[in-house]
Amino acid sequence: MNKPHSASMYESEKKIYPREIGGRFDNLSKLATIILLGLFYAVPWFNWDERQAVLFDLPARKFHLIGLTLWPQDFPYLAVLLIILALSLFFFTALAGRLWCGFACPQTVWTEIFIWMEQWTEGTRSQRMKLDKAPWSWNKLRRKGSKQFLWITFSMWTGFTFVGYFTPIRELGAEFLALNVGGWTLFWGLFYGFATYGNAGYMREQVCKYMCPYARFQSAMFDKDTLIISYDEQRGEPRGGRKRSVDHKAAGLGDCIDCQLCVQVCPTGIDIREGLQYECIACAACIDACDSIMDKMDYPRGLVRYTTENALHNKGTRVLRPRMFIYGTILLILIAGLTTSMATRTPIILDVIRDRNALYRELPGDIIENAYTLKVINQNNRARTFAISVAGVEGISLDGISDTVTVDAGSVLSVPVRARAHRDNAYGIMTIQFTVKATDDEDAAVIENSRFLGPTP
Amino acid sequence: MVSEEYRGAKQWSRDKQAVFTVVWISFLSAAIGTMVFFALFDPVDLSGVFDEDLDIGRDAGYAAGFFFFWVLCALASGVTAYLVRTAPKRDAKHRDQ
Ligand code: SF4
Ligand code: SF4
Repeated sequence: MNKPHSASMYESEKKIYPREIGGRFDNLSKLATIILLGLFYAVPWFNWDERQAVLFDLPARKFHLIGLTLWPQDFPYLAVLLIILALSLFFFTALAGRLWCGFACPQTVWTEIFIWMEQWTEGTRSQRMKLDKAPWSWNKLRRKGSKQFLWITFSMWTGFTFVGYFTPIRELGAEFLALNVGGWTLFWGLFYGFATYGNAGYMREQVCKYMCPYARFQSAMFDKDTLIISYDEQRGEPRGGRKRSVDHKAAGLGDCIDCQLCVQVCPTGIDIREGLQYECIACAACIDACDSIMDKMDYPRGLVRYTTENALHNKGTRVLRPRMFIYGTILLILIAGLTTSMATRTPIILDVIRDRNALYRELPGDIIENAYTLKVINQNNRARTFAISVAGVEGISLDGISDTVTVDAGSVLSVPVRARAHRDNAYGIMTIQFTVKATDDEDAAVIENSRFLGPTP
Repeated sequence: MVSEEYRGAKQWSRDKQAVFTVVWISFLSAAIGTMVFFALFDPVDLSGVFDEDLDIGRDAGYAAGFFFFWVLCALASGVTAYLVRTAPKRDAKHRDQ
């Protein structure tokens, strides 16, 4: 610190550890942490229709999302969904800056909760500094030990929950209690748990500073109307220490008393008074810190506040600007497209796989035969009966199946079929169409092309 | 003045930055790659391509695919980071003149 200041009443607060400051935004971020993490840990335990409501069943290659079941064939939906999410982030960033970083990013919320555990066990910042410097003692061991215990237990639970999104969590829980979790499940659980432990316990904001691509890209989405956290230079400067009783305006001073509290609470170690810096994750700790000082000094709050560059220069903020319209329109189009196409998708999927082992077979009576495996997927939530037929070559017919097949709700049926045609009609490579039609609904049908091979003419 | 004890504010060395960034970015890329790849291909169908008798389960297939992508991406970004950081300085000066 370069300037001594007389307001000794802040001395005691100077040793404050980041985030211990408390305040409006701290409460908001605690709330966000509790809601978001609460959802993460709770969601896999909800059931829907006798099965886990949200389950990415990788071993069975299908995703259950409440009432919806998605198959690998539905991948385009997922791709579009990811694009929508990315665009939303752009949109949101242009509008509200790094609100995501401060309140919603998994990195932030898990770090937050790990800091709580650190504070419960090791105490406040100054207590922790003392503890770190102190030689090993029973007390130190107990505090450090219980922190590690909390961290590791919580990480394991996190890993367990993560895996529970991919394997039914109730069964997993039973296996876990019987100490019988095996193989890859165990591996991924530990993997995710360990990543949480490292990221939230040790790396923390260094992830934001050095490793996060979003943190570096976001400035490209900013403009002068973006909501940022900023220090009001016009109001604060010239900064300087003063007694509370002094009329600082008469003494030629701004509102900043240069107590450095905003710098001390900053988890990325920057001075917000130097202007917008890419390290700032918009956690709003400096706002809380500064507001607490303004309250004590009886100055109005908001020397450091959420604002926009235009507002700071008294220019007035425009929320509706071309950039918002462009992002917004693209987003709306994508969302509308995705919902309509999902609402109107046929709940049947047909995959035709030609038998790889033989080109064709010649049967007595000049008949050419090709073999296929049809995979019929019923995406409906009830069992359905389907009629299978083939067309595309004169006189072609199917052999080896009954007229109809019944497929259970949400499952796949492999139907081996043989298509036969007279050799006069079957030569070279021909395209045929398999049709699978639901018997209870004329419109529910899918057609899939395949090849029918015959001898060269 | 910065609360040095706070781990988030601590400065990392350039090497540490490079290593962790490479590991993390390749991890994210590999996650995307794995997702797209296994949406298109079923590991059970694939295992037959390499060896008829190879019969690994889906779990192992997914894991193998993921680590394959991770190592590949880490190699690519690792070598890129290395080359960028060890590029001869003189070149840059020469170009600027
Ligand atoms: S900088 Fe990156 S990692 Fe950090 S909070 Fe923002 S999005 Fe999350
Ligand atoms: S400068 Fe940014 S990162 Fe630092 S305390 Fe303020 S809002 Fe948080």
